Amino acid sequence: MKRGELLGSLEQIILLALMRLDGNAHGMIVRREIEKRTGRNISIGAVYATLERLETKGYVSSFTGEPTPERGGRAKRIFRVEAAGKRALQISEQTIRSMTAGLKDRLGTT
Amino acid sequence: MKRDSLPAFACSLLEFVLPGPYREAILGDLIEEYTLRSESTSRFAASRWFWSQACRSVPSMVWSSLRSRDCLISISTAMGVYIVMKILEHGAELAISKWVAPQPATYVLLAPVVFLTSSAIGGCVAARIRRGATKFLALMVMITVAVLIDLKVCTIPVPWWYQFGFLTLGPLAVIITPTLFGRLKQQRALA
Repeated sequence: MKRGELLGSLEQIILLALMRLDGNAHGMIVRREIEKRTGRNISIGAVYATLERLETKGYVSSFTGEPTPERGGRAKRIFRVEAAGKRALQISEQTIRSMTAGLKDRLGTT
Repeated sequence: MKRDSLPAFACSLLEFVLPGPYREAILGDLIEEYTLRSESTSRFAASRWFWSQACRSVPSMVWSSLRSRDCLISISTAMGVYIVMKILEHGAELAISKWVAPQPATYVLLAPVVFLTSSAIGGCVAARIRRGATKFLALMVMITVAVLIDLKVCTIPVPWWYQFGFLTLGPLAVIITPTLFGRLKQQRALA
């Protein structure tokens, strides 16, 4: 596996959050989902910086929505997980699984 | 919710600091969430949340911009504009000191006009080429003026506030002029 295919932990969490949101959401929804599930209060800037990186890698794609008054006339940026992103998640999950195999006792997990 | 109840300074700061591609999306998300939070909790709590998000978001976005080399393009643009700006400024100063106002007193009066005009034009050109370049151009203007003051290049005796004016008004002219022109354009388009 190439080095570039390995996902960072935040990249992995954000891709998984996008998958949970039917692979279609904007930054603040992703942030809320992460906070709800993990309790991590990450900044919106960190979410967008990671999404930008994922977009450069071709793991997600984005499009601009319509500007709305409740957003002060600013448009949403909607993100969608691409096939390459799903594949990267699979690889990442397999890697974690193979690295943690046989370590349940030591890690103290059931 | 009225927009004027938003932490206006935090909004302006983000607008100025955040790099281009996701600026609108981040600000929109923050405004939307602020509105929801100020309705469900208090305006103070919502403002505190907004400020914390703004302060924590800037380093991530700036670092991301540096990594994507977006910043380098902006710096190069600013440098290019700065060189052209200085050549024009030098030409204008030569013309003033030789033909228009050979006396030092008149030169002292006209030099700030030339400097501020070239800074304003430079800011507009930089913003036209690349919006993010204006902040780097402003920084370059400020550093150059500070270095020139420190080296005591000006041989004509001038008060401290005269030099301080160059140091502050130059970068401000670079940043504010394109914004003012942008607002004027918007108003004209709406009319």
